[in-house]
Amino acid sequence: MSALTSPLPTAPGPLPAAPGRPAALARDLRWLLRLHRPTLYVWAALVVVLAAALLWLAGPLTDASADAWRDYNACRDGGRCSYYQDAILRYKDVYSYTTVALTALPFLVAAWSGAALIGRELESGTAHLAWTQGVSPARWLAVKLAAPAVLVTAGTGLLVWLHHRAWSAAHGRVDTAKSWYDGLTLHANGPTTVGLALAGLGCGALAGLLWRRALPALATGLVATAAVRVLADRLMPHLWAADTVVTPLSRGPGGVGITVDEGIVTSTGAHVPLPHCPPEDAVHGCTATYAEADAVGFFHTYHPAAHYWPLQLTTTAVLLALVAVLTVIAFRLLGRSTGGAARGRRTAGAGQERQGRRTAAARRTGVAA
Amino acid sequence: MTSRPTPYALRATALGKRFGRRGAWALRDCSFRLPAGRVCAVVGPNGAGKSTLLALAAGLTTPSEGEVIVLGTDPASARARVGYVAQDKPLYPQLTVAETLRLGADLNPGHWDPSVAEAVVRAGELAPGSRIRSLSGGQRTRVALALALGKRPELLLLDEPMADLDPLARHELMGTLMAQAAQYGTTIVMSSHVVAELEDSCDHLLLVGGGRVRLAGEIDELTEAHARVSASAETADLTGHTVVESRTTGRQLTALIRPDGPLPAEWRTASPTLEELVLAYLRNPRAASLTPAEPADRAGTTTKAGTGNATADTGAAA
Repeated sequence: MSALTSPLPTAPGPLPAAPGRPAALARDLRWLLRLHRPTLYVWAALVVVLAAALLWLAGPLTDASADAWRDYNACRDGGRCSYYQDAILRYKDVYSYTTVALTALPFLVAAWSGAALIGRELESGTAHLAWTQGVSPARWLAVKLAAPAVLVTAGTGLLVWLHHRAWSAAHGRVDTAKSWYDGLTLHANGPTTVGLALAGLGCGALAGLLWRRALPALATGLVATAAVRVLADRLMPHLWAADTVVTPLSRGPGGVGITVDEGIVTSTGAHVPLPHCPPEDAVHGCTATYAEADAVGFFHTYHPAAHYWPLQLTTTAVLLALVAVLTVIAFRLLGRSTGGAARGRRTAGAGQERQGRRTAAARRTGVAA
Repeated sequence: MTSRPTPYALRATALGKRFGRRGAWALRDCSFRLPAGRVCAVVGPNGAGKSTLLALAAGLTTPSEGEVIVLGTDPASARARVGYVAQDKPLYPQLTVAETLRLGADLNPGHWDPSVAEAVVRAGELAPGSRIRSLSGGQRTRVALALALGKRPELLLLDEPMADLDPLARHELMGTLMAQAAQYGTTIVMSSHVVAELEDSCDHLLLVGGGRVRLAGEIDELTEAHARVSASAETADLTGHTVVESRTTGRQLTALIRPDGPLPAEWRTASPTLEELVLAYLRNPRAASLTPAEPADRAGTTTKAGTGNATADTGAAA
């Protein structure tokens, strides 16, 4: 062995005592925020900019647009005819941009969670560094999921509330304001976006753990989150009992909202799908087709505006259940790949050691004899 | 967390790891025991399974079969008492050197020794404020070693620790490691494919080749258990001895063998160097391995017992 060539403490001083649980949690959290400081800044900036845009939209932009629409509608009455078109267009633009941005947030979260939060750490080995520096893999993942979940919930929660506020401000005042059931508005207005963002976090994290590489995890997280959004969209109308309205043929189909099913009512009272109406009959209002199909009226199974909150809340609940499942799978996966649950084998190992020692002792005696 | 001292820092039983359900085995049927307090060299060609073995011991991945007991417990439970430096020396690139050391201090409450970590960094003349991203490979190695040493582990697992270092830094850091081992009884396991640099510092050898353990034991005993012999090709009979490698040039037979009993006086014999031994085993993948499942328990003593024959017998019995 070589000599002591490096300065070393001869008597190391007293070392700091191990902190309790809350202190350890605060410490892990502090380091997570330090390591992802740029992301934290970007997220904060994104939330602030979008919140400012939504406040602007809800106030001055909506007022200006509403005024312009009032002026425009006055044209029809043959009065003074001048309206401020820019106000209408600016409202439309800012509304679309903010709605699209809110729709994109869950995907942004998924991409970041898959690539930067988990995938890159496993790819570069810094995760292993953390695990061998006193942070158990389970705590590492717990902090990595919990802290972003809180920030994502707070950020998206604030933004969807502001979006709903802006949408409500224009409701009935701006003629081009989106209906409550418009594809993007429906989710941007409510907690389903928060649920989707958390599902994105979970999908990304799981993809990162599975791939252990940043780029494939990014792609997988995005695709999985897109699938979740499509499925949530498909599932949503079926999570609450829909209303059915029956109208006579003369009045046409009734009810406005999210359609679940629609068709015609025959003279026997049966609900059947809308029959195919050829173009030459369509110009006559499909009267021949309906007569042939024995239609006496229309039925429309749909969700009226009153179902908005039940639909939002049930869909959010389903999404949160999915988040829970993803989280459990992620912890199981990590535990299995790092041997977090290997305690059961300890006794077996000790037994083998004892047996091995006995065998060796017997062997030594044999050699000596 | 303290536990009663165990005689073995590492104990592997039929340890195997393969990546993917149908993937190739990176390590297979690997059994050895490493007494505590040793400085052990894990030697083998590239892709031999050295890194896999160290990652298994560090509890970063789980075995596909068999088990490894670390400091008397499973690797996951031992993680807090084990220091590990991976081959590519991963560190957070966005942190500074000082922040990295503060991270180590923060994440290892109760068993962090700032003086050791700082001494290692200071010896490399690293500015505390420089970002890890801006460091050279050798400087990164130094910071990674500082983190692992500052933790004051009972077992230090180092994967190719010296590969990026210049000769001076290599010598200096090897000295630091040896001092650590001497002062705190730290068991050090370091992998390398440069045998010569380990011969002076290590007292235990684990030769891994083709995913299996080929040689395991105290280096002194391993070299004593083998003999480099040269004799006349016509009269020499190697039967009865374990032949690792033999070559005939003209009428001269040279061989590296594990003698089983006394050798004829007319043979010229010499003890092989560690490098000769390692190379002979690596060149001859089919030579019988020498991996005593239970080397004589000398963890507490310093007497140099165990002749070549005794070691060979233990190997045969296992």
